[in-house]
Amino acid sequence: MPTNNNLKMEVKNLDLWYDTKQAIKKVNMPVYENKITAIIGPSGCGKSTLLRCMNRMNDIIDKCRVEGEIVLDSKNVYSKNYDVFELRKRVGMVFQKPNPFPKSIYENIAYAPRIHGIKNKKKLDRIVEQCLKDAFIWEEVEDRLEQSAMGLSGGQQQRLCIARALSIEPDIILMDEPCSALDPIATAKIEDLMRILVKDYTVVIVTHNMQQAARVSDFTAYMYLGELIEFGKTKQIFENPKEELTEKYITGRFG
Amino acid sequence: MKSLDQISKDSVTSSRVDIKKIKEKSIKYLLFISSITAIIVIFSIIIFLLKDAIPLFDIVNLWDFLAGGRWNPTGKIPLYGTFSLIVGTLMVTLGAMVIAIPLSIGSAIFISEIASEKIRSFIKPAIELLAGIPSVVYGFFGLIILTDWLRVTFDQPTGESLIAGSILLGIMAIPTITSVAEDAINAVPRHYKEGSLALGATRWQTISKVIAPSALSGITAAIILGIGRAVGETMAVMMVCGNPPYGLIPEPLWDVFTPVKTLTATLGIEMGEVAFLSNHYHALFGIAILLLSITFIINISATVILDRLKQKHVASGQDKKKKKRKKFFSKDIQRKIVSIIKPLLILFALYILYLMFNLVMTAVIVISIILITFAYKKIDEKKREKVAFGGLFACIIVILTFLGIILFYIISNGIGALSWEFLTQEPSDAGVAGGIFPAIIGTLYLVAGAIAIALPIGVGAATYLVEYTREGKVTKIIRTGADLLNGTPSIVFGLFGFAFLVLALGFGRSLIAGQITLAFMIIPIIIRTTEEALKSVPQSMREGSFALGATRWQTISKVVLPPAAPGVITGAILGIGRAAGETAPLLFTAAAFSGIIPGSLFDPVNSLPYHLFVLSTNIPGSKVNQAGTALVLLILVLGLYLIAIIIRNYYQKTMKW
Repeated sequence: MPTNNNLKMEVKNLDLWYDTKQAIKKVNMPVYENKITAIIGPSGCGKSTLLRCMNRMNDIIDKCRVEGEIVLDSKNVYSKNYDVFELRKRVGMVFQKPNPFPKSIYENIAYAPRIHGIKNKKKLDRIVEQCLKDAFIWEEVEDRLEQSAMGLSGGQQQRLCIARALSIEPDIILMDEPCSALDPIATAKIEDLMRILVKDYTVVIVTHNMQQAARVSDFTAYMYLGELIEFGKTKQIFENPKEELTEKYITGRFG
Repeated sequence: MKSLDQISKDSVTSSRVDIKKIKEKSIKYLLFISSITAIIVIFSIIIFLLKDAIPLFDIVNLWDFLAGGRWNPTGKIPLYGTFSLIVGTLMVTLGAMVIAIPLSIGSAIFISEIASEKIRSFIKPAIELLAGIPSVVYGFFGLIILTDWLRVTFDQPTGESLIAGSILLGIMAIPTITSVAEDAINAVPRHYKEGSLALGATRWQTISKVIAPSALSGITAAIILGIGRAVGETMAVMMVCGNPPYGLIPEPLWDVFTPVKTLTATLGIEMGEVAFLSNHYHALFGIAILLLSITFIINISATVILDRLKQKHVASGQDKKKKKRKKFFSKDIQRKIVSIIKPLLILFALYILYLMFNLVMTAVIVISIILITFAYKKIDEKKREKVAFGGLFACIIVILTFLGIILFYIISNGIGALSWEFLTQEPSDAGVAGGIFPAIIGTLYLVAGAIAIALPIGVGAATYLVEYTREGKVTKIIRTGADLLNGTPSIVFGLFGFAFLVLALGFGRSLIAGQITLAFMIIPIIIRTTEEALKSVPQSMREGSFALGATRWQTISKVVLPPAAPGVITGAILGIGRAAGETAPLLFTAAAFSGIIPGSLFDPVNSLPYHLFVLSTNIPGSKVNQAGTALVLLILVLGLYLIAIIIRNYYQKTMKW
């Protein structure tokens, strides 16, 4: 690997079980700073599960057990005294289905800064505006900030959710198939947004869509049946895969 | 040319098809008729009550009836003012809500968001048991334990008071509010919760800032239904509130130790001894209409709120077409209004505190509230979460303690009276000695008749609603009818049964009048549980059957109903439990405090709840037999509830589509 890639997060020997079923098997994977890392693979291969380990969202699932480490800035996020709320403040997440709260557009963005202790109205206004601008949705909503977020289109809702994730000033943004519920135009907007965001943030995206991974990502990880089959630069994975399984998948022979 | 053989085959099949068609049609009509029973009953109730209430307004006008402060229909100058009774009802209900709302919502949140699967599977049935305890048993508990405790602890002349009624009604309303609120919280989409947690919010922040606000309208509906439950309750309030004869408005209003008389209690006490077709008689029907109107308003508003909620969750995300509701006030003005009202409210609360206690006490309360909020703001989120979860857990503990105390007293008092003789002998010496055999048999007769009538009608109605119609106006009207029937106070059923079955149909006070009245009461329960059971059968099963050429009824009877049977049975058992514990509807339709087992459907009948009611209110010296009767009734009803819960839980676990 070239030396200009700084390691931001590293998954080390990660195993995960849902009850008795093992969903992730001994996965090792780096996440580089200010790069987009895409995780691809067929349905049920554990890619979303792996992503949800990175901000410990799997904690809320009953009977889910994790072994191994995920190291963020040289600290294991699965160690006992690691503050999970602090982790989620540093690792934001955008979900598959846009999930704005049933509140106004303004309140959706102000929610997280408020719960993390910002009370000053002017400061909140500034954060809301900045986040909406960063997510390229400000112009579409600036005159209706008090209206319900539920009235936005799917693509707008998803950009709102991205803006919401930015409101906690995270280091890393996790995206779990963020475009799977959107039309092609909305998808293109989100992809452009990702390329811009990656200048300031580290992005990990799970996607079902191989073209999307090829278009936007710097690194690609291919998973199959809970195992990480191959990790490398996106160009190399798509043009010259080392593993036979990877090649079969990206050439569409199964998946 | 067709061969003869072929022709005969054709004719056979075509006549078979005709028979099939006729059968299908007649079944459909039959089910339709059962589905509109609830509406017919509701309308009959209104008509029969109105018919007997209207003559009253020849002698008093509506205003004097509603606003007149004194209720004395048997006085030299009869007075028909129900204002004090209305205030009594409202105050008892208000007190009940002060107790029930925080406990219920706290426990609903605890059950749906915090409790583990194991704890949940223990707490939920416990709260459902609270719903299963018959109201006359609550009343009995209130009479012998609660009022006594209040009298001694607070050094009052009597414990039979507003506060006693409020405590009992509060406990009785808890299961209603908890279960509806819990449904509302569970209906909040899971992804709201994930969205909040992913932003680094604690679980308590997520609950208080995202989940609870999203569930707010459902929680409101839960509270409204709880109010409805409290307003309509008769036996418990009648037994513990003191019932001053002319009605009494507490003076001052917050003197919770004043005895009060509620609307329902007035009906329960006076209907039995009123002269037929006298002005007093008409006035009581006037009260029944008043009560019915109040509960109608309550139930309809809850239904409207819950309906809107359902639509919101279905349409969320794509409601762009929805008309923007014009807001009467802009946000800024709203904020200004709030900022003016807030200090006024605080001043008012301080004034009330000052009046209730004194200056020092008020100061102590205010300072402690300020200190607590200050401390709460000081501590960090994780400690706040612990405090909040502790509070929610405390709600559960308080509720379980209520249940424990009630069960403990009923069991420990009653266990001594239980014996083979008690169960199998007739009462002697006005119930002071002897057993309760006729009451047990009477209860069985009543319940058997009620379920025999209600089960086919209820299942038929639910089948029609789920299988034969699309969701639309018709189903909405039918469901509203069932909801209204469900929310109608039991004492109103009693008056209706009296006017319709006892008088108009000439049944007299009889077993059959009691059976039919109880059947009307439990039809809504059976409709609702059957509907749920039918809906849980996946559509693909029906399609599979239709694709094989089966008719609708064949599909329903062979494919849909068998897997739904456990749900239907659960509903039937819940209905039986409800019918077995009811007293108020039987007071004027069937009940007789006698040791005789009815020989025909037209004889009056004793029942366990009625026996308990008469013993504990009218027969001094029957303590032992009261406690024994209460225990037998409790075991019978809770036993039925437990069986229903077990069946339901078993099938919920094993049925996987």
